[in-house]
Amino acid sequence: MIQMKQVSHQFHIGKKGRERIVPVLHHIDLTINKGEIVAIVGRSGSGKSTLLNLMSGYIRPSEGEIEIRGKSVTNMSEGEWADFRLEQYGFMFQSFQLIPSMTAYQNIELPLVLKGVEPHRRKQQVQEMLRRVDLEEYASHYPGELSGGQQQRVSVARALVLDPPIVLADEPTGSLDSENELQLLGLIHELNRERGTTFVIITHDQQVASIANRTVTLADGRLKPGGMSRKEQGGIIYEV
Amino acid sequence: MRFKDQLQFVRQNMKKNKSRLFMTVLATAMGCAFLTVLASVGFGLQQSIVDRMVGDRLVTSISVYGKEQQDGVNRQLTKENLDFLRSIEHVKSVTYKQFIPQPFEYSSDGQALPSENMQVLDFAEESKAGLKLAAGALPRQASEVLVGYNFGQSYEDSEMPDQAAVEAWVGKTLQFDVLQYVGGKQERTAVSVTISGVKAAPAKEWQLDRTVYAPVELRDQLEQIAGTRLAEMRRPATGDQEAYEPPGLDTPLYYTEVAVIADKVQQVKKIAEQLREQGYYNYSIADELSQMNVMFTIMQIGLVFVGAIAVLIASIGIYNTMTMAVTERAQDIGIMKAIGAHPKVIRRIFLLESAMIGVVGAAVGTLVAYVLSMAVNWGLPVLIKTFMEQQVPEGFRFSVIPLYLTVISCTISLGVALLSGARPAARATRVDVLRALRRDI
Repeated sequence: MIQMKQVSHQFHIGKKGRERIVPVLHHIDLTINKGEIVAIVGRSGSGKSTLLNLMSGYIRPSEGEIEIRGKSVTNMSEGEWADFRLEQYGFMFQSFQLIPSMTAYQNIELPLVLKGVEPHRRKQQVQEMLRRVDLEEYASHYPGELSGGQQQRVSVARALVLDPPIVLADEPTGSLDSENELQLLGLIHELNRERGTTFVIITHDQQVASIANRTVTLADGRLKPGGMSRKEQGGIIYEV
Repeated sequence: MRFKDQLQFVRQNMKKNKSRLFMTVLATAMGCAFLTVLASVGFGLQQSIVDRMVGDRLVTSISVYGKEQQDGVNRQLTKENLDFLRSIEHVKSVTYKQFIPQPFEYSSDGQALPSENMQVLDFAEESKAGLKLAAGALPRQASEVLVGYNFGQSYEDSEMPDQAAVEAWVGKTLQFDVLQYVGGKQERTAVSVTISGVKAAPAKEWQLDRTVYAPVELRDQLEQIAGTRLAEMRRPATGDQEAYEPPGLDTPLYYTEVAVIADKVQQVKKIAEQLREQGYYNYSIADELSQMNVMFTIMQIGLVFVGAIAVLIASIGIYNTMTMAVTERAQDIGIMKAIGAHPKVIRRIFLLESAMIGVVGAAVGTLVAYVLSMAVNWGLPVLIKTFMEQQVPEGFRFSVIPLYLTVISCTISLGVALLSGARPAARATRVDVLRALRRDI
């Protein structure tokens, strides 16, 4: 599904001519299989987010090759990446990243609008997602009128409305209380089981990592050998 | 992304800062209105001045003075020449004037009228050329004449008669004597004609028209009475002067003040060239008019250029608004890009927004320009009359907005709006996703 071969990344900091090179990732070899829930864990500054950004196409690797669903994405243009993201990915962010001037309905509808889906089909799909995340009554509410948990559910609905094969989640429970966190993890587990959606979740939360089929640990920009399976972690298994 | 959705998006975005949007649209509308009104003055002056200087007939008229003979001697125009002129394609009519050299003294209802000359017109041709009457009808027979608008007025009186006074001439009988010397002795032959109509007032206000216009049939009758061409008088020999015998009726009749009237202005130049090729001396005002139109066109371009500066100033407002919009919406743009919005879609949304500002501004500006133009045309004559005690000629228009001026102004406004929005739109596509999402990298 996602294959990273010898991927390295470094940032250039400072003014041109006096810039400093900061290496963040070193020769990462990582394969994520279809239908897996993979948790990427590690301390702050270990390179977790950079790894996710490379998968998302927000940044390009300094070295190495990335293949997603059999397609090399390393040298894709910005426009190609935009189309690719819309087709292949759903995104969940720690701070939800909802557009404040749009209602919950419009936020969920956005990927469908960008894809050019017909209005009547859009309506059907958005209403189905609203039912799924139990926010039918809040469809016309703006993000500022929703709680953190509700906002994250809108964000989840937006990520899944196009039924993408891969969902990239960056600290999805970071802004949630424990009750909402459990609810969200249950939803992720359910979608993975029902639709076979692949989840790549960046987290430092052991509870989140515990629902993953596999945990990948990053330390100082390098993968720690031998990712743990869920059984090995001895975590909670969510049944929905 | 569907175009309809893009428009919906733009509408939603535009609602976010209504006051700023209003000011930007206002600036664009003012620019467009200024451009249109300024240029409309050029168009108005051109139309009014040209119309004023040359009537419809003069524009299509070619004066023919004579024909060059093979031996280089100028020759007056004969009936054959006139027939040739009438045969030319796109010639609507050929008119002429012949002066009757007789010192006619007119009287009507036993009352003597000021002496005035008589001219012969071909009324059939004049009618085709568009001769206008103030009252009555054109003469249809030898016993009818047409009179000038100021006929019967004394030379001291330069006031224009009113319509009732003009109409009063129609149907009246006019008496005059044809003088001729026969065997050295002067003979008088009384002629009586009816006034069938009155010619329209002369186009130039300072002109007074007291002439009697005779039909061709009356000319023939007068010629028969006098026994000479155009009823010219013989002059008997006096002490130091020899007798003069004018051309007799066996000599050809010559035509003076011949004018060829084209059916369209565009044909004037072509006909004039054809006449020149055939050896006819001619002159048409259309040549000079084209020069004048070139001057007006240059003036209009200048005015449009000055007006376009106003639109350019408005473009600064659009640029500023769009730049602010991109800055304010950087996070929204970042989210959209993160989800999968194509850079082209982002650019198109912002270009559409500036285009909509341009379209609304141009529409409002055009509407305002039309209102201003009407106000100027109505108000300026009143102001001139009130404060300068001058009368603006009737029908004079200071401002005229032809359809193509509206099209030019709207195109400039829309073009400038798109250009001003192009840079901010390009900037929007370069919004850094990670920075917009405020994520640590």
